[in-house]
Amino acid sequence: MSSKTKTSVSKYGPLGDKLNDLDDRLGVARGGRTLMDKIFPDHWSFMLGEIALYSFMILLATGIFLTLYYVPSQTLVTYHGSYLPLRGVRVSQAFASSVDLSFSVRAGLMMRQMHHWACDIFVGAIVVHMARVFFTGAFRKPRETNWLIGTLLLILSIANGFLGYSLPDDLVSGTGLRIAFSILESIPVIGSYAATMLFGGNFPGTMVISRFFTLHVLLIPAIMVGLVTAHLVLLVTQKHTQFKGKGRTEKNVVGAPMMPIFAAKATGFIFLVSGVTALLAGLAQINPIWQFGPYEASKISYAVQPDWYMGWLDGVLRIWPAWQFSNFGHTIPLEVFLPAVVVPGIVFTIAQLWPAIEAKFTKDTAMHNLLDRPRDRPKRTAFGVGMLAFLFMLFVASSTDVLANYFHISLNSMLWLMRVLVILVPLISYPVTLTLCKELQRAGDAGKRRRPNIVTRSAEGAYHTVPADLRPGDGHHELAAEPLPTFIKLDDAEEATAGTRMITR
Amino acid sequence: MNRRIARALVPAAVLGVATIGALSVFMGSGAGASTTSTTSAGTVAQSKAAEVISVPNAAYQTTRPNAGTANSNMQIFNKSGKLVAYGDKNVTYTAPPSSLIPLGQAVYMQNCASCHGVEANGVASNGTPGGYPNLRGLGPATIDFWVESGRMPAADPRSVQAQRHPPRLSHTEAVAIAAWVNSLDPATPYIPHVNAVSTAAVTDGFSLFALNCAACHTITGGGDALANGTNAPSLRNIPATQVAEAIRTGPGNMPRFTGNLSDAELRNIVAYVTGYIQHPSNPGGLGLGGLGPVAEGFIGLALGVGLLALIAFWIGDRT
Amino acid sequence: MSAEQHTPVSITSVSIDDPHMQPLARNPRRMEQTIATAMFFGLLSFVLFGVAYWMNWAPWSLGVTLGLGMVLLGFGVTAWGKYLMPKGPFVEERHEVASTEEQRDSFAAAVIQRNLGILGRRKVLGGLAGAGLGVFGIVAAFPLIRSLGPLPKNSLKTTDWKAGSYLVDSTGRAVKVGDVAVGGIVTVFPMGFEDTDNGQAVDQTVLIRLATADVVTLAGRESWGPSGYVAYSKVCPHLGCPVGLYEQQLEVLVCPCHQSMFTVSNGGYPTFGPAPRPLPQLPLYVDGRGYIRSQGGYNQPVGAGFWERS
Repeated sequence: MSSKTKTSVSKYGPLGDKLNDLDDRLGVARGGRTLMDKIFPDHWSFMLGEIALYSFMILLATGIFLTLYYVPSQTLVTYHGSYLPLRGVRVSQAFASSVDLSFSVRAGLMMRQMHHWACDIFVGAIVVHMARVFFTGAFRKPRETNWLIGTLLLILSIANGFLGYSLPDDLVSGTGLRIAFSILESIPVIGSYAATMLFGGNFPGTMVISRFFTLHVLLIPAIMVGLVTAHLVLLVTQKHTQFKGKGRTEKNVVGAPMMPIFAAKATGFIFLVSGVTALLAGLAQINPIWQFGPYEASKISYAVQPDWYMGWLDGVLRIWPAWQFSNFGHTIPLEVFLPAVVVPGIVFTIAQLWPAIEAKFTKDTAMHNLLDRPRDRPKRTAFGVGMLAFLFMLFVASSTDVLANYFHISLNSMLWLMRVLVILVPLISYPVTLTLCKELQRAGDAGKRRRPNIVTRSAEGAYHTVPADLRPGDGHHELAAEPLPTFIKLDDAEEATAGTRMITR
Repeated sequence: MNRRIARALVPAAVLGVATIGALSVFMGSGAGASTTSTTSAGTVAQSKAAEVISVPNAAYQTTRPNAGTANSNMQIFNKSGKLVAYGDKNVTYTAPPSSLIPLGQAVYMQNCASCHGVEANGVASNGTPGGYPNLRGLGPATIDFWVESGRMPAADPRSVQAQRHPPRLSHTEAVAIAAWVNSLDPATPYIPHVNAVSTAAVTDGFSLFALNCAACHTITGGGDALANGTNAPSLRNIPATQVAEAIRTGPGNMPRFTGNLSDAELRNIVAYVTGYIQHPSNPGGLGLGGLGPVAEGFIGLALGVGLLALIAFWIGDRT
Repeated sequence: MSAEQHTPVSITSVSIDDPHMQPLARNPRRMEQTIATAMFFGLLSFVLFGVAYWMNWAPWSLGVTLGLGMVLLGFGVTAWGKYLMPKGPFVEERHEVASTEEQRDSFAAAVIQRNLGILGRRKVLGGLAGAGLGVFGIVAAFPLIRSLGPLPKNSLKTTDWKAGSYLVDSTGRAVKVGDVAVGGIVTVFPMGFEDTDNGQAVDQTVLIRLATADVVTLAGRESWGPSGYVAYSKVCPHLGCPVGLYEQQLEVLVCPCHQSMFTVSNGGYPTFGPAPRPLPQLPLYVDGRGYIRSQGGYNQPVGAGFWERS
């Protein structure tokens, strides 16, 4: 505890006095220096997670604005706003407040669109970031916990996105709610209970919008904030991984210090992410619910794909064959339960357990702070590419009708094509990627013959290998510099070196 | 390169492509191919893609008044007692003028008789019936719709569904053909004219559109692919009369909305389509084609995440 | 850069003249001018956003001015950090996250002494506490889960369709036998149904008029389709979407959600797509005054499959 009199000025001035007071209570100077010196590796692919983080911050900020206007209620009111085709129509308060927010609240539409675009970018950035972590092996010991947290965040972000776009109770998202009810119903034994209890009765009930609101605004964001905090704390305490390179070892971190360089880049990047999101919000319309109208159970539109991060589920539901199991007094709707519950369950379980799965195969329990290049782990990279190809084909399968319409192909053919491609493309991409990786590993030796090792045996019987002599032409020879032609005038200030020319205009 | 993998890959890929090709041929329907499908009950239902309607159905009309057929509030007869117009204040249906019949016959023989027959009954000149639709008893609105939307004369008579096209015959010629064909077997509906579209109730039109039309044409009217190679066309470029004609006559695979939609409701739907479908309210920016989340996902991933990843590539190191 | 410049140095010990502390830009003054220009225009864009807000300009202008301002400002700050600040690279050592052997031993000692030693002495109390917590955990779940909503009971299996129900369209008008032309389709509900989403959701039915010659009568359903009229539940047996897409020449109902296809002339059986069960058919008859009415309710639950369905 330092003692100072009120009249003496500390060596750092009045601001320093205030910080001294703070340090008396919180000890910030000690941690502050460490924090400011903290080194963050600079590779560009490490910033993909930042895109997700900043999108999350945008979601929180714009979301708070939206909660000030949105009414989470299915009670019917008469719409009296400015959009003519809805005037006088009985719609739910959720829908009416969302349309009013879009038309009558200044900057309301911009905030709504920023929120929705930020969500699309958020989930996309998580996937891209997750892919980077996967392909570089950053999930290995000691970072398995962070991987678990991350995959959990992916699942929660997808769920929260679905809940969020269902809140305005419009025709397109209401159809998604109907599908969600039926998916819940399809679970064996408990399905009908789960569905009617969550919805407060048979579909659509009167409770689901307000319940989704609580989940979307309170419960899931709270859990996500906690998980994101844990994710970042682990990142700071374990320090970020880095690629191999000059001066980099398993025991150090090379990059830029937090203050001022990383802070500048991070702050700038926050603005850039927000800026791109705001530009999208201004220039590209998203989810125009007034054009869809309110949800009514007997109405439907064609081309009602869900938002992109749910598209893979829509795709697998479309292509699944019409199976059911029902000759035993009960019905298990396999055509719903398998694609909508079991397949995502398997995908997410594999994702969450991947560090354990890989450790089992590679028997690698060492600490890793240096990253792999994807080419250095061909099987992991090929598996990841295969999985991404599978998910991508499911996304494409979700747009069968749009693609069939655009390319003038029969809808039925399109569906069968997708059924075949969903299996073929991942199966083909695995060996192709494997081969590519192995080729790339030897890229440094491209064009060169393999250098054979000559095996010799000593008199005692031990074998040892000796690299063979280089064949003529295989080695690297520095050529003698060609003399410059005399008609080129050299600048007096600099000398020409071998192989360079200077042209003065 | 692992030779064993390569050796397996090429035949696998060939087999895969062959599988896809074979399945597409079997499961899709090419033009004129008849597809059969097995139901879970084990009975075989014949798809109607190949079989074209050769006899107009007798129960084609409706008994409900003010719903597109002659039993409307207003009926106008000419001196010889022929009904020349009917309807109410919402929609007026007029018969094509009989003075156009000679022109119609001439244009028909030149452009239509080779498929639809010289007697407009679907019997082609070589005598085989049922090859192309019988045009008798369908009413002038049907003929007018198909010709004015450019679908007829057909660009490819063997395609599964004729597509909208810049019309090859003029408006007068189209009405003339309708006049002549109708004279062979007079029927309704006549050619509709929707009155006072700008003052119609778009609210009612929106609700009816969502209930009856959005399931095929999508809620934003963009159209989409349907079964066996058919499609619901986009509504974004269609004049009011053709909207009304299509609704009343049910062209091709489109259902026929007669007694289930009154003329007042028809007017409201036409007002909504020509208003808010064709001139959507897009205050949020570019409408992205009204394609919904598919287009939004592409933009969000390519322009959002992709652009930001590129920016990260600029900011960070590459080693 | 020379190899020496690539070697990382520690930030704590580097001197200010070290090349690592120099900016990355070849011409720092010019870069500073570029950044300043960008940031200035960003600032202007923010001002323009304020103007756009107060003058209530079109929504797109709000997004564009705000976005442009942020992008320019963000570019400025980022470029400042990347090009004008010390270029590095810098290094620091990683500290061992794992505890030392002594720390682990002392932790283990505390666990064994205090937990197993002190707590373990009173086994009965420990057991009761654990059991109490366990029972609490179970009964605490009751209000969280059971109070959410009603048990399904029969709600998933019943509709409002009864013997003699009139078919009414969305405006409440009862449908007569002469109303719909061949090739037409109407969405109908039973007269007296609750005209909210709850009522619509299960009762919604499509009434289609086929040419009488096209109707294939199934055993037991001979009287269900008078005058070519057939009626099916509009709720798709796959996932419950309204099956509103009717192709009159193909005589097929297509579900817009996942493209299941059902034959209309042949009992609503699925011919394509993921739906395994047919559309439930509503038996119709025409009464003395020409109104179309139902002979009874549906013979199976409408909508998607669930455990108790059969």
